[in-house]
Amino acid sequence: MDGFLAVIWIVRLLFLALLYLFLARVVRSLLRDIRAAAREPSSSLGRLIVLDSPSGEPAQGRSFDLDAITTLGRDVNNAIVIDDPFASAEHAVLTYRGQSWYVEDLGSTNGTYINGGPVADLSPLGYGDEVAIGQVRLRLERARPA
Amino acid sequence: MSATPRTASAPSLPRILGPIRPRPRWTETRLLAIVALALVVGSLSLGLTLAHRFVPYDPGGLAIYLAALGGAHVAMVLAGRRSDQILLPAVGLLGGISLLLMQRLPQDLVTLDVGGSTIGLGDIQLAWLCLAIAVATTLGIVVRSDTWLRRYKYTWAAVGIALLLLTFVLGVDVGGQRLTLRIGPVSGQPSELLKVILVVFLAGYLSENRPLLIEQDTRLGPLRLPPLPYLAPMVAMWAIALGIVVVQRDLGAALLFFAVFLALLYAATGRLSLVLIGLVLFVLGSALMASLFDHVRARIDIWIDPFADPLGTGYQIVQSLHAFARGGLLGVGLGAGLPMVGGRLPIPEIHTDFPLAALGEELGLVGVIAILGLYLVVVERGLRIGASAADDFRSILATGLALVIGVQAVIIAAGDLKVLPLTGVTLPFISYGGSSLLANAVVVGLLLALSDKGVEPPPPPTTSGWRSRLRPSRLRRRSP
Amino acid sequence: MLATSSRRRPLGRTILHVALVLSMAFGVLAAAGGYWSVIEAPDLVRSPYDPAVIAAARTVPRGKILDRAGLVLARNAKDANGEFYRVYRGPAISQVVGYASQSYGRAGLERAYDAELTGLAGDALTGAFRKFGASQYDPGDLVLSLDYGLQRDAVRALGTRRGAIVMLDPTTGEVRALASTPTYDASTVTDPATAQKAFAALQDDKDQPLLPRATLGRYVPGSVFKIVTAIAGLGSGAVTPSTTYQEQPAAEKRGLLVKGFRVHDGHHPQTGSTPLDLVSATEVSCNIWYALTGLRTGGADLVAYAGRLGFGAPLPFDLPTAVSQVTGGTGKAPGGFVDDVELANASYGQGETFVTPLQMALVAATVANDGALMRPRLVTAVRSKAGTREIGPERVRQVIPADEANAITDAMVAAVEGQLGRQFTTGSKVPGVTTAGKSGTAELGGTGEPHSWFIGFAPAEAPRIAIAVLVEQAGRGGEVAAPIAGQLMAQYLAANP
Repeated sequence: MDGFLAVIWIVRLLFLALLYLFLARVVRSLLRDIRAAAREPSSSLGRLIVLDSPSGEPAQGRSFDLDAITTLGRDVNNAIVIDDPFASAEHAVLTYRGQSWYVEDLGSTNGTYINGGPVADLSPLGYGDEVAIGQVRLRLERARPA
Repeated sequence: MSATPRTASAPSLPRILGPIRPRPRWTETRLLAIVALALVVGSLSLGLTLAHRFVPYDPGGLAIYLAALGGAHVAMVLAGRRSDQILLPAVGLLGGISLLLMQRLPQDLVTLDVGGSTIGLGDIQLAWLCLAIAVATTLGIVVRSDTWLRRYKYTWAAVGIALLLLTFVLGVDVGGQRLTLRIGPVSGQPSELLKVILVVFLAGYLSENRPLLIEQDTRLGPLRLPPLPYLAPMVAMWAIALGIVVVQRDLGAALLFFAVFLALLYAATGRLSLVLIGLVLFVLGSALMASLFDHVRARIDIWIDPFADPLGTGYQIVQSLHAFARGGLLGVGLGAGLPMVGGRLPIPEIHTDFPLAALGEELGLVGVIAILGLYLVVVERGLRIGASAADDFRSILATGLALVIGVQAVIIAAGDLKVLPLTGVTLPFISYGGSSLLANAVVVGLLLALSDKGVEPPPPPTTSGWRSRLRPSRLRRRSP
Repeated sequence: MLATSSRRRPLGRTILHVALVLSMAFGVLAAAGGYWSVIEAPDLVRSPYDPAVIAAARTVPRGKILDRAGLVLARNAKDANGEFYRVYRGPAISQVVGYASQSYGRAGLERAYDAELTGLAGDALTGAFRKFGASQYDPGDLVLSLDYGLQRDAVRALGTRRGAIVMLDPTTGEVRALASTPTYDASTVTDPATAQKAFAALQDDKDQPLLPRATLGRYVPGSVFKIVTAIAGLGSGAVTPSTTYQEQPAAEKRGLLVKGFRVHDGHHPQTGSTPLDLVSATEVSCNIWYALTGLRTGGADLVAYAGRLGFGAPLPFDLPTAVSQVTGGTGKAPGGFVDDVELANASYGQGETFVTPLQMALVAATVANDGALMRPRLVTAVRSKAGTREIGPERVRQVIPADEANAITDAMVAAVEGQLGRQFTTGSKVPGVTTAGKSGTAELGGTGEPHSWFIGFAPAEAPRIAIAVLVEQAGRGGEVAAPIAGQLMAQYLAANP
């Protein structure tokens, strides 16, 4: 096999090898994602426990796993649906920024309260603090240990 | 339409969107680098084989394509959406392979006269590819709410059916199939766009009626079926599929529609009985079509034994199999295959129906498996987007979009390899064809939009922000 | 939004199922790819429909075909476009060598050894690495065992009559002549200037010159089949060389009654009232003796021993062969015969018995070779750049023990050289050499003339050539086929001392 032919075949085989390199990289990404996803369920960022719910929705004593952004309100598309007559459709949003929790009122009619005090704009929220939306009271807790 | 409260409106993203800020997409960058390298090497391989010089074969075309991919990547980075980072490179690689193939085929297979000059196959495909990348990227960036898809599903269905009827009536017969709609100088294949519209409609319909379809029953002997009125669209789908076969003589599209429909039905309801009924309907329909229509029966006969008439009706598929055989394990090299017969390519319609055979010959079994792997990657991304989507509509929509690409690839690859009868569907992203590329670009764009993981919470307020950044790994308990 | 809907998880699971099904579909596709690229590839790559093969045929010089002495039987010439086409030595070899035409495909050895001649032969591994070499094709030359001079003379001996002649070396199985007439000039089919007209004319020709009668023609054998009956009778132990039948002399006059059917002896002088044994029955070609022998051997053994000679299946040969049969096989009696009448008829080569000339030549060759059947061969070597592949003699099986074969040899010698025998086989004796043989007159029923047959070998003590001659509807075996055989055997033995 002469030199030119060897070069051609090296290039051809290199092309095939690069195709497989791409696939291998993708697979590596996928595996990483799967492993991350497998760890996710146990590594939620926090929980919200329902202390008091006169209307029954959400159920009293129920615990919600929290995401980085959690919306609360009467509209069914909220992450946590609060079916209380004193809650607005889009009432408040709970966010995890940096290393801590914040709650923000979304312009609700009756306002949002932390430990009894009204929430003006973005307010920090700590573990053990209570949030009141309408007649529903919820408490922020740490995530359940994995 | 009875709008149940659950889907009265689209779930809107929280209004604290924060400023649109560029976000790095390193995975995508790394993968695109491999894609670029692979395509350059492939082009070198073409150049060595066809021009006998160590120079990329069509450096201008390749440069334009890589620039388009790079531009799309930059646009995605600047737009800062947290969408899937694997789709664009995978589709980019498939498109690049298509470009190499179209550059390698005789340029006069398809020509376009613009002004005074003639544009050949490779350049036309390059133009379509760039347009497709642009469409996919634009959709991926701009589409932020799915209301327009979700809310108007019956409108979409009507548009789809109107397109279909238009093609039935006004369509132009090309090669025994009435697929093309020609309005003035522009011609295209509406059936390509139709499959996207179908998925949108099905996603809306199935997500809306999912509880009914799952939980309520009518009993038909030992089978538990959803309530009969909800089965009506299913039978309507079957009838439409048969209609496509009858009028358009497009078995591939009919098969694609029906397969995607069945898969989505199963995905939405989890009821195996529906799938079984669907399969029974399919078998019955095929038998009916085969017995009534010669062209259907001819296709099936050719599929069963193409070697019975290797120079006549079986010619295409026999030549396709010969191409795979010549390729063997490693292929003969890009540009080195497809021996001419009397100055013409051995496989007719190679740029639309048989690109996989050409790639099988030039890249071998190893290359074909890599390409199938790429399609599997695209499908997997789509299905994963579906599985982790925010709600049922997006879930079913993403699944359906992924299936549209995956099932179509399976159908045409199976036809080229004599696993299924040959049908006229195109190999997504690789076959020549503007309609096909654009429709699949819409699919990819929508998938990108759907895969947006949502907004990250903006950074903490500045009073505490950078102090917390100094201690990044510890959770700090803060009191109000 | 990780809010858990009670129905969300099933959606994920169903999507997973869909993903699995689709992955399986891709797996099936990969397997199909492997099937066509690796498993079926060797056959497809050599098929004449493959455009690479078609293209190569025009640009890569095909291997030559040479006879035993190195005489070129098939070579390449270039036409006006610089593309190759085949030129053949003469019409005598057309049915053996065949033709390789651009438009009309391939026939004969050109077809059977197409892979070697084009240069695509080799196993899958060499095929896989072939593409790494400078040239993909390594055409090989075929060296045949054929003797061109003998072949030409055989065709000439048949003249304008339709028929076939097969001559082979009984000790090695090498075929020296394989003639079929009428023949044609294969060069007219491959020459681009004359191809179309020539091929059309050949297809329309009622005499079927394209049919290689020596290997694919099936004929009623008549008395030459008695050798097979003798083999079966001796081999199965039903008869011995000294077996006689008491009823046979009397039956000569009246005919032998077998289940209501009378077996007659049409044509032999009075042998008096002496019962005949194997040698004398063969010398006078006694139907009655052979009918009785066949009945005594039984249908099952007759078919079995014929099968050992090659009946009932295509012969292992370089060219395609038709299947010779003893009976149609649809009957319920042992061996597939309908009844004893058919068995009796088959024993002397009438009835539902059909043979190819090649098969009958093998029968003679087996007797000549002390009962051992050798595989017939045309190609003895394939020479290419990669080296020379020799194809040596191959013994198929020992059909009957040597002593039984020698007894039959004695009978066949009597048939040629005996006082009574030579009247039936005039001209078949090679002067100065003990010749063995058997003539046959195959009645066709109806008003047509019978086929004229002769099989034999010489010299009887150490045979070097075996022959089968068939002349279609030429009359009595002794009159037409026998002299041809004698002449050709003499010619061969003189040229090959």
